[in-house]
Amino acid sequence: MATTRRTFLTNVGAAGIVSLGATPPWFLTRAALATEKAEKPPTEKRILVLVQLAGGNDGLNTVIPYTDPEYQKARPGIGIGKDAVLKIGDDLGLHPQMTGFREIFDEGRLAVIQGVGYPNPNRSHFRSTDIWHSARPDVEYTEDGWLGRSLDLHAKRHAGKTPALALGTDRLPLALVCSKLSVPTVQNVREFQLQLGAGSVANRKLRRRLIGDLANRPSATGSDLDFLRKTTQTALTTARKLEKVTATYKPAAEYPGNGLGQKLKTVAQLIAGDFGTNIFFVSLGGFDTHSQQAGAHQGLLTELSSAIRAFYLDLKEHKLQDRVLLATYSEFGRRVKENGSLGTDHGAASQMFVVTPGDKGGLIGKHPSLTDLSQGDLKHHTDFRSVYATILDNWLDISSQSVLGHKFPAVDFV
Amino acid sequence: MSGSQPAGDPLRQYDSKKLGWTHRDATHLLWRTQFGASDAEIEQATEAGLEKTLDRLLTPQEESPDFESSDRLLRQVAVDTGNISHLKAWWLYRMLNSANPLVEKVSLFWHNHFATSNAKVDSVDHMVAQNDLIRKEAVGSFRKLLSGMARDVAMLIWLDSNANRKRQPNENFAREVMELFSLGVGNYTEQDIAEAARAFTGWHLRDDKYWFNRRQHDFTQKTLLGTTGTLDGEDVIEICLGQAACPHFLAEKLLATFVTPRPDKQDVAQLASRIRAHDFQMTSVFRELFGSDLFFSSSVRRSIIKSPLELVLGAYRALGNRPNLQTTIGLLASLGQDVFEPPTVKGWEGGRLWIHSASMLLRTNFAPALTSSSRFGTIDDPQSVLKSDGRKTQDDVVRYYTELLLAGDVEPASKQQLTEYLKKAEGDRGERSRGLIQLIMSMPEYQIV
Repeated sequence: MATTRRTFLTNVGAAGIVSLGATPPWFLTRAALATEKAEKPPTEKRILVLVQLAGGNDGLNTVIPYTDPEYQKARPGIGIGKDAVLKIGDDLGLHPQMTGFREIFDEGRLAVIQGVGYPNPNRSHFRSTDIWHSARPDVEYTEDGWLGRSLDLHAKRHAGKTPALALGTDRLPLALVCSKLSVPTVQNVREFQLQLGAGSVANRKLRRRLIGDLANRPSATGSDLDFLRKTTQTALTTARKLEKVTATYKPAAEYPGNGLGQKLKTVAQLIAGDFGTNIFFVSLGGFDTHSQQAGAHQGLLTELSSAIRAFYLDLKEHKLQDRVLLATYSEFGRRVKENGSLGTDHGAASQMFVVTPGDKGGLIGKHPSLTDLSQGDLKHHTDFRSVYATILDNWLDISSQSVLGHKFPAVDFV
Repeated sequence: MSGSQPAGDPLRQYDSKKLGWTHRDATHLLWRTQFGASDAEIEQATEAGLEKTLDRLLTPQEESPDFESSDRLLRQVAVDTGNISHLKAWWLYRMLNSANPLVEKVSLFWHNHFATSNAKVDSVDHMVAQNDLIRKEAVGSFRKLLSGMARDVAMLIWLDSNANRKRQPNENFAREVMELFSLGVGNYTEQDIAEAARAFTGWHLRDDKYWFNRRQHDFTQKTLLGTTGTLDGEDVIEICLGQAACPHFLAEKLLATFVTPRPDKQDVAQLASRIRAHDFQMTSVFRELFGSDLFFSSSVRRSIIKSPLELVLGAYRALGNRPNLQTTIGLLASLGQDVFEPPTVKGWEGGRLWIHSASMLLRTNFAPALTSSSRFGTIDDPQSVLKSDGRKTQDDVVRYYTELLLAGDVEPASKQQLTEYLKKAEGDRGERSRGLIQLIMSMPEYQIV
């Protein structure tokens, strides 16, 4: 392949150059051994699952530079010990609870993109979330999101369909807000089953047939009635398909009972059921760990890692793993130095995780310096819009320039 | 009142004496001006005629003591608990039961026009105060409504008024005043927004009240849309109201919401000129609009895709549902219309944007949930409804429900299939009728009003 990991790694990011040293680290050697995937699936089959870590995840206690003396110095109360971390590199380790991530990493399917952020980082949850969702840090009041705009670009094609959905969120996240379409938020997969109401089997059967027949009438092309009839038919077909899938669908992995696990299980079901949705949004909240961080953070990372591991194994068993790219993000990382209540305050740069459909897992970019800080926070070297651009151009096949307004350098994870 | 209007004017008053006044005409009027209607209401309106029905809709009607006490109670619960979902329940109760249903429907129109969300305001007190302001002027003066909004606490929070300072004007409110509240895109420049923002500097919030912060107000000269002076916020509003674009913008939105989704240019211009002539007095505007030839012309009937509220509350009123308001709120939110929490400052765009495969299934599934479960309440028993109405044959029953729920808008082949269901289905008449209602409500035609 022309674009190798190595050429990428030497040019990585907007700001930083990665120095590899004389011998490539062990994880790279293994990644290089992995066979290059032949083909990506056709565009319409590709799925993006976006996992929001709401509240600002403490990236520094997620991917830990355990050999850096500055780390223990900054984190005397909540630092994770050298021996406890799950090593994923010569000087980096995952939080001890993230055994699931470690497994995916070992398979070469987990990309850890380090030092992600944006210029002049904002430390308000509200504003920074808007920035990540709109991908327009310079516009103060944005009315649509980056994925929303990507859908608007092909609004005609999506009319009446469900190209994207948010699962289990209170309201539609700005990332998915479009101006030409509406994206649903759903709580439960049961919402996608046709309900036939009470009564005898015969009556229900009769109603099922008639509901289909009553919607299946010719009407003036382009009229609202025609649109409603077609959408009803699509909905009924999809529901039918889904019904079959859910009847036979057996998750091939045991999902944890936690919230994220159940949401991802539903996503897997919808993917397996060919629901026709390409973009899924789920959220895991609670990362705003200002005090007594250790226990809460451990719980959250356990939930994150175990849920995504189950999702990954499930997809793999259903031979769907090559169709799905999952990415995590958080509105900001947290301050390097812990605060006085065994917690951390709002910070800036952090990492993104990508469960990649190809074989481009591994560590990407360098861990930001713990001494060269900006207002006590890590500096980014990779703009999050580079990650978005890569997802748009290399996975969703949508021009990132149209969506983001500029060309951002790609990051080599898909 | 129509004497001076030229012939061919779309707003010429509909001559119901000459052209007739039918059950279907009444159904059309009531479904557009209320959240649906029961058969009894339609009968009453048919009997009363157009003039009297418009009188009832447009002049304040006394509320029943029962309504008053439930209304007070629901509101009190919301305010005392500070829980917005109780406030939603309160409003739904009013939409369903007020003796002034048009006021509630038009209030929803203004809530969407001045779309403010509790997601940011985070206060039942402020949201209910804004709702009161809207209701007071809903069928009143748009001038007063717009000017009241500029000092409304929820709005001040929603559009960051305290950030609008002399040295660092914040354009949020100024932009929306022109773009969304009065003129529409294309009828002002970025420079106008900057000037208007300066005029609104110092319109702040203190101790949960509007407060004119003199020290942060820019008293210098501004030029807005061709007018120069030491303008303040009140002047901005007057200047906007004075623009030709303002009644035009309102007319287009009113027509799209209440009459037809893609209104004719001439109709918009005509309504705009009436809004101007009535100086934004909405009672007169609505009276003319809902009594017009245009409103009763065949091309605009059955042309609007129901909003979730019209869909759900319309069914409740038509079928005599005693609703569970809390589950209803959840349903409305999943259908995309969560009152007091519109998605953005642009509100709900409506029309086809309500519809996608997921919401279509939810809409379809709403039918059996209403007819054969108690999840959303209990509807009047069809068996006794039909009995008291003297409907005998299967054709009678189909006709009764297709008139009630579809204003008779049903193709012969569909009608035949509905009759077929009554013939083939098992169970007593009540059970079969419930199945029939479910089928009618799952027809794409039911999505239209």
